[in-house]
Amino acid sequence: MISWPPLLVLFVLTPLVGAVLTPAVSDATGRRSWEWAIGTMLLTSAMAGALIMRVLDEGPFSYVVGGWVAPYGIELHFDEFSASVAVVCLLGLLAVVFSRHYAPAALAPERIPYYYTLLLLNITGMIGFIVTGDLFNLYVFMEILSLSAYALVAISGEKTAEMAAFKYLVMGAVSSLSILFGVGLLYALTGSLNMADVTMRLAGSAKAPLVVAFAALTLGLMVKSALFPLHIWLPDAHAIAPSPVSAILSGLVVKVGILGMLRMYQIAYGSGAIDLSGLNLMLTWLGAISIVMGAFFAVFQDDIKMMLAYSTISNIGYIVMGLGLASSYSLIGATVHVFNHALIKATLFLGAGALIHQTGQRTLSGLAGVGRSMPFTTAAISIGAISIVGIPPTAGFLCKWYIALGALQAGQPLFAVALVFGALLIFVYYIRMVNAFYFRKPQDAGASAVHEAPATMLVPVLVLATLCLVMGVLGSLPLSFIEPAVARLLAPLGGG
Amino acid sequence: MKRALTIVLLIVLAAVLLNAVAALPPHGSPDTPAYTHVGAYYLEHGPEETGSENVVTSVILNYRGFDTNGEVTVIVTALMAVIAVLTGVRDAGNRPDTDATHVEPSVVVRFIVRVLAPFILVFAVYVILNGHVTPGGGFQGGTMLGALVIALTLVLGERESAKLIPQRPIRIIQVIAPLTFVAVGLAGLIAWGDFLSFPRDEQLRPVAEAMLVLIEAGIGIGGAVVFARVFRLMGGRS
Amino acid sequence: MIDLLWNNLDYAASMILFCIGLYAVITRNNLIKKFMGLNIMETAIFAFIVALGVVDGGNAPIMGEGAAEPFINPLPQALILTGIVVAVSTTALALSLVIRIWRQCGTIEADELREAE
Repeated sequence: MISWPPLLVLFVLTPLVGAVLTPAVSDATGRRSWEWAIGTMLLTSAMAGALIMRVLDEGPFSYVVGGWVAPYGIELHFDEFSASVAVVCLLGLLAVVFSRHYAPAALAPERIPYYYTLLLLNITGMIGFIVTGDLFNLYVFMEILSLSAYALVAISGEKTAEMAAFKYLVMGAVSSLSILFGVGLLYALTGSLNMADVTMRLAGSAKAPLVVAFAALTLGLMVKSALFPLHIWLPDAHAIAPSPVSAILSGLVVKVGILGMLRMYQIAYGSGAIDLSGLNLMLTWLGAISIVMGAFFAVFQDDIKMMLAYSTISNIGYIVMGLGLASSYSLIGATVHVFNHALIKATLFLGAGALIHQTGQRTLSGLAGVGRSMPFTTAAISIGAISIVGIPPTAGFLCKWYIALGALQAGQPLFAVALVFGALLIFVYYIRMVNAFYFRKPQDAGASAVHEAPATMLVPVLVLATLCLVMGVLGSLPLSFIEPAVARLLAPLGGG
Repeated sequence: MKRALTIVLLIVLAAVLLNAVAALPPHGSPDTPAYTHVGAYYLEHGPEETGSENVVTSVILNYRGFDTNGEVTVIVTALMAVIAVLTGVRDAGNRPDTDATHVEPSVVVRFIVRVLAPFILVFAVYVILNGHVTPGGGFQGGTMLGALVIALTLVLGERESAKLIPQRPIRIIQVIAPLTFVAVGLAGLIAWGDFLSFPRDEQLRPVAEAMLVLIEAGIGIGGAVVFARVFRLMGGRS
Repeated sequence: MIDLLWNNLDYAASMILFCIGLYAVITRNNLIKKFMGLNIMETAIFAFIVALGVVDGGNAPIMGEGAAEPFINPLPQALILTGIVVAVSTTALALSLVIRIWRQCGTIEADELREAE
């Protein structure tokens, strides 16, 4: 069963069919659509588990849709990087669980089935993006993902939400076009759209279009990932969206740009047609600036979700810096941080959502003293905060350590300093948050009268917080899992 | 100031882009990689392998069928997004739904639309069903069908035009395109072992054609319903 | 350089169109005009990719009676059909958002919206 080849395509189709059928099965209360979405996500997660077992067992594998051999047909490809579908499914499932009581409070009842539909379509887009081995197919799934993300930002119907969604849409559409242009240029140079085939045929192409193609791809993907200075759409969109959506957007959707970059590196390094050291140097610098700027802006935010949104920019900076340094340690650290940051940021956003749902307050001053009335949620958020700063033994530590080692390995100790400085700034703002929860007096009597969040909210938050701790203890597991893929990626560069 | 800066930046960008496209393989030459590699294979083997004379259609539905599956999902995503953004508005808003006063369409418009409607319908169905031998296909025909519903909505008035889109099973019909695609794909998986695979034997050609026509019809109807619904939602109807 | 550009005039024209669209996206204040700029950019990229498939003297890639070589590369056309559908979908969502912004704020000029915030 595990090695049944068509499982890979069914894995993409399951959330797709589940998504489009959600409005048809829903009832007036939205309860049925919730159950349907849970069922879909459970089935999808089981399939993800089977696929990861297979990649552990036999290494990367592919499936050609319709039996048309690559490069003539579309090839789906599953390798160690694709194992990030595990965290996509996990967070998707937990976000749906969390929405049980959150969605009816935050959304108009008519919109609830469509909310679940768009959430599942978003997951579909991400899964498709991660497993496809074809450049144009990548673009199609990226559009499913982006369109549903714009709508999910606007779905609360508030004025600011719709304006944030429009800004996100314009930036996102320009970046998608940039990526499509890059794909078009690669097609013009090679005559193929299959990634493996493009890699083989790219050597000896004209230099100028090749440089522009990779620049266009990088630009587009970095807008999607909100790297400084292309981040301007992110804070509003992530802060205003409903909290489960914020968790998905911040935890997963921005990472899609990073995974796209990994695919791009596979093509560039594998073909040896282009020297990316200039691009890498720029990415390393922009990553370092992102770390510091994101953290700096976060310190001045009073709105808890705004603060978390800026913290995402900072963490994307870590990952991009890891990619840019292009040494084996830094790449391993960066790819594992994609995974760990998703867990951590989902803990924080879902926890923040639970706080906002129970208290109606979203500023740090309004949430003062909430640690007494909601001890479990605030404890989970505190674990998330410790992890994101990177204090051992939590999930954030090892990957940042690896990125720092990578900076030293690449002979760039300056960037290790930037990394530590960023971590200190991050420490400052999370200290502010934890301080507000536990050590400040509630502003009014209302804050102490609130109760702990309902089980459908508390359980996902606690599961994620536990995972943050577990991943800290078992931190070497994903590191060794991703190592062969990074080694393969860097092999053409002479061992890295 | 901002405008001048933008112009300077765009001129630099244009110079970079022009420099890049100048170095591409020459336009229109039959020796470019784009023409000699995958494209040449489609032209050479397309008709016999897929049974459709229109090679563009065989690329869309056979070789790159999975892309098209994603594409119909994109339009369904757009419809879901538009519904999610425009329905269930809680606040009344500061503005009325429309500022324009209602104007009855002129006699000319009403007459022309009524006369042309059956012809548009027939042509749309023709384009949908003949996509594999002539230019056209599900999307093109579906767009015509959607445009027909939009034109009729303009002249018929609210009560009658609401009947143009079936109301009861709308939640299935609006997603019929990806559903048919997946259903036909799964049929291929069960019968011939691969998702979206079609029988390639000469005897089974009619089966393959029936499957393709089913997909085209699904895309056509699904696309038409999506376009018509988006139009009605934007006009403040449901 | 100019010679090469002259050979690839179709590509060059779509690049210029792309920059015109980008200019509109950056400088226009009205949200609908901003989005029209984006549509121009989309058209430019689609024209570029379709032009990749052109071969001199080529016919539409439809076999059958009376069809004569050379045929135009079918792949870019198939891709751009998908691209157009994606562009339509994005436009539908963008216009819906503009409708909502208009109903709530009474304006769709970007600077007035910023002041109202």
